[in-house]
Amino acid sequence: MDKYDVIVIGSGNGGLGAACKILNAGKSCLVCEKHNIPGGFATSFVRGRFEFEASLHEFNGIGTDEEPGSTRKVFEELGIADKIEWIQLKDAYHLISEKEGYDYVMPFGAEAFAKESAKLHPDGEKYIKDFLALCKQIREAMGYLSETKGRPDPKVMMEKYPDYLACGSYSVKEGFEALGYPKEIVDNLNAYWCYLGADENNMTFLHYANMINSYITGGAAIPTHRSHEISLACEERIHELGGDIWFNTEVVKILTDADGHVSGVRLKDGREIESRHVIADCSPHVVYGKLMDSEAVPERAVKLTNFRKLAGKGFTVFLGLSKSAEELGITDHNYFIYDSSDNVKQYESMKSLNNTGAQATVCLNNAYPECSPEGTCIVYMTTLFTDDVWSSVSKEDYFKTKNKMAARMIERFEKATGTTIHDCIEEIAIATPETYARYCGHPQGTIYGYESQYYDGLMNRIQMVEEDRFVPGLRIGGGYGERLLGYPSSFKSGVNEAGRTLRDMEKEGR
Amino acid sequence: MAFKKSDIPGEDIRLAMEMTAKRRQLIDETPATPLVYEYGVNRLAKALHPGFVKAVIAGKAPAGSDCVKIALEPAGGGGFPYFRAGQFVTLSCKAGDSFLSRPYSIISSPKDALEGKLEIMVQRKGIFSTFIIEEAPLGTVLWMGEPSGDFHHDSIRDRGHVVAIAGGSGVTPFLSMMKAIRDGSEDFKLTLIYGARTRAHIPFDPEEFKGDGVDTVVVLSEEEAEGYRHGFITADLLEECIDEDTSVFMCGPDAMYRFVRGELEKIGFDQTLIRSERNSVGDRAVDELKVFKLIVHIRDAVYELDAPNNETLITALERAGIPAVVRCRNGSCGFCHSRVVNGEYFIAAENDFRRSADKKFGYIHPCSTYAESDLEIDIPIMDLEG
Ligand SMILES: Cc1cc2nc3c(=O)[nH]c(=O)nc-3n(C[C@H](O)[C@H](O)[C@H](O)COP(=O)(O)OP(=O)(O)OC[C@H]3O[C@@H](n4cnc5c(N)ncnc54)[C@H](O)[C@@H]3O)c2cc1C
Repeated sequence: MDKYDVIVIGSGNGGLGAACKILNAGKSCLVCEKHNIPGGFATSFVRGRFEFEASLHEFNGIGTDEEPGSTRKVFEELGIADKIEWIQLKDAYHLISEKEGYDYVMPFGAEAFAKESAKLHPDGEKYIKDFLALCKQIREAMGYLSETKGRPDPKVMMEKYPDYLACGSYSVKEGFEALGYPKEIVDNLNAYWCYLGADENNMTFLHYANMINSYITGGAAIPTHRSHEISLACEERIHELGGDIWFNTEVVKILTDADGHVSGVRLKDGREIESRHVIADCSPHVVYGKLMDSEAVPERAVKLTNFRKLAGKGFTVFLGLSKSAEELGITDHNYFIYDSSDNVKQYESMKSLNNTGAQATVCLNNAYPECSPEGTCIVYMTTLFTDDVWSSVSKEDYFKTKNKMAARMIERFEKATGTTIHDCIEEIAIATPETYARYCGHPQGTIYGYESQYYDGLMNRIQMVEEDRFVPGLRIGGGYGERLLGYPSSFKSGVNEAGRTLRDMEKEGR
Repeated sequence: MAFKKSDIPGEDIRLAMEMTAKRRQLIDETPATPLVYEYGVNRLAKALHPGFVKAVIAGKAPAGSDCVKIALEPAGGGGFPYFRAGQFVTLSCKAGDSFLSRPYSIISSPKDALEGKLEIMVQRKGIFSTFIIEEAPLGTVLWMGEPSGDFHHDSIRDRGHVVAIAGGSGVTPFLSMMKAIRDGSEDFKLTLIYGARTRAHIPFDPEEFKGDGVDTVVVLSEEEAEGYRHGFITADLLEECIDEDTSVFMCGPDAMYRFVRGELEKIGFDQTLIRSERNSVGDRAVDELKVFKLIVHIRDAVYELDAPNNETLITALERAGIPAVVRCRNGSCGFCHSRVVNGEYFIAAENDFRRSADKKFGYIHPCSTYAESDLEIDIPIMDLEG
């Protein structure tokens, strides 16, 4: 068959979610993936005795069997929930911030988190409870908005969600200023900033508050068999539903007809496949800049794409250590290690190749002890580059530059945690922006899609999602999509765009 | 809760209501300059990892009695990708009715590659080496996979001094490392201990690799000669070469690995500091030779072929002339990752480098897998367009 109802470009979280949604509705679907396995960033790789998780630190929105989170519900609807085994994470994070001398662990769970906050400030518990109450209102308001399809009753909004309305224009910084919390409390609540990778002046308060709330109250989990398990679960579902997924298959062109409507795709080997609908799981920079003839791209699509900011470029050091976590004194699963809690400064310092190595680091064995052979452990540390500095590295300097940066991050971890790991490194792999550019094809090796900017944050994107599409038959999901980066968000963006595609098809009367 | 940034009544809400309008306006004001989707980072990624490239056989020269050095040049001129000394390339081509692919360690320095010079060393054994040594004339064009593999020195993981132990054509990655140390593209010390039967079997000039951070010791098992050690690579020789800052790298036959590991154990050398390059997975011994039916899906194409139970699936695919993706041929790299639709298979534990989810959902690496029944698999297409 050379014709499909829908073609999905890319099998990252967004592409896989989109394909499952389309197929569940009984439509035919082909996924074209340029890599030889599904998942995009959601994958793993084996070196010697170790299997490394490529990206996932924690998956938010899964909840428990008894109290499923919003993403688990989506997985259930798509028929993939039963294919994945989850491990619940106990603690939220271990925050180390050198300037302020912070060095403490925060647990998951609203109650526990609030209680622990009393150690940071005498009124800590109360502040957190207030904050979570505000978050609850925000979440409910968002729920109401989506129920009313963006046409809420103003009276209801005023009466039930006044704080939501008030803070709609706040940056994170303005939000916390308005709340008037003491520095220790704000610094702690700011710990998650690196998961969105934008500083407090740019991130919108609504978005950030919503994210930390769902981490703190909903907790987080990881799949037993690394994120590759999620990707293969989706692939299995795609086959069960009669869909096709082709690997080593790069789409080089999105074809349009005389009316400017999508008519198919061209693969790298020249083969063309017909379809009236394409869902792309890659960046609009690539879609409009490379996959489409420039005449077929409306001017406003170019403007919008230029308007957006490519987010952090990833750098990760993966270590297989020949000693156990216990032996090494690595006590926690998830570390945030910062120079200071001033994330504006921290963001600045990540603009250069002299990046100080502030990091989000995971010791997988502390969540899942069996993830590596006895007497060993897996540690991976991620930092971001907030500017395109890796573009200036030459071929000849590339390997040395990456090892230099990796060594700095390892040293940094040792210093912050008081452990010694550099002398028991049995396996090492280092992913640079080049690596991420190679595997997923994103511009500059960006791993976080478009950065959460003040005017390009979650609420604006959701509200303007229809306005932000330009080519009939083409939709863009995944980490560059409406809900921004992250496993649950990129997956849901794909699912949502698929839902809209199904409605487009209905309207067309097919 | 006093939750406001503005003291003007209604101001906060007004600002919130304006968010989308303001975004719309900012987009309007953004220039429609042509989009940039490929930056320096993307270009470097492509230069280091171009996928398959076409390489021409530009020269052949005997190296010892068992090997032939093959010089390759890029078909379209220019350079080859930069790499890490110790890495290998996989060469593919049609040979008779078969479509064959084999990995070979590079013996050139990474700097030579940039100038379009890449040498490999082929040992006389098997059908691909016969083809490339005896049959393929100069000028033959081959597909070459990008340099790959993690058998290279790493300044963080490995010690500053590598004692490199090799036999046969296993010296190849170390020749590259020694050249790289010399021209400054790698920065560590290397002592090569090479085991050969006689001088005539040595595929390189040991004198060439002495001094400037490299040293070479050749051990002959069937000949006594001045300037050469006699016997085997034993504990006392190893002890002589190893200092406090040593990692041991090995490349050669599995029997050599077993022997040398035993010797290293005698001197109490830390096992986690030993790295050995893995050898190709070959035929296996079976009680009863059986030939199964293998159905292969590549995208929407379907092939049906025979798969004897003593050969890996990749061998069956190659014999049938199907261009099948493969890179390391030892089960570890995952390039040939494929889905089992139906049927039974066998993978030896020591060659099983699959991810744990692959085991759960039934995925295999055909280069290290044997059929145990009729089998239906879905393999990725070989994307030869680079
Ligand atoms: C180191 C790291 C740590 C992270 N940690 C977390 C975490 O703890 N929690 C969390 O929620 N998120 C985390 N993330 C973010 C998360 O991984 C991503 O947001 C998410 O996986 C992005 O999914 P996506 O749908 O955008 O697809 P991507 O993963 O970006 O995949 C896109 C896919 O499309 C394919 N493709 C692109 N162009 C083409 C084409 N022309 N033809 C065919 N195929 C094409 C690519 O090969 C790729 O497979 C992390 C990311 C990284 C890199």
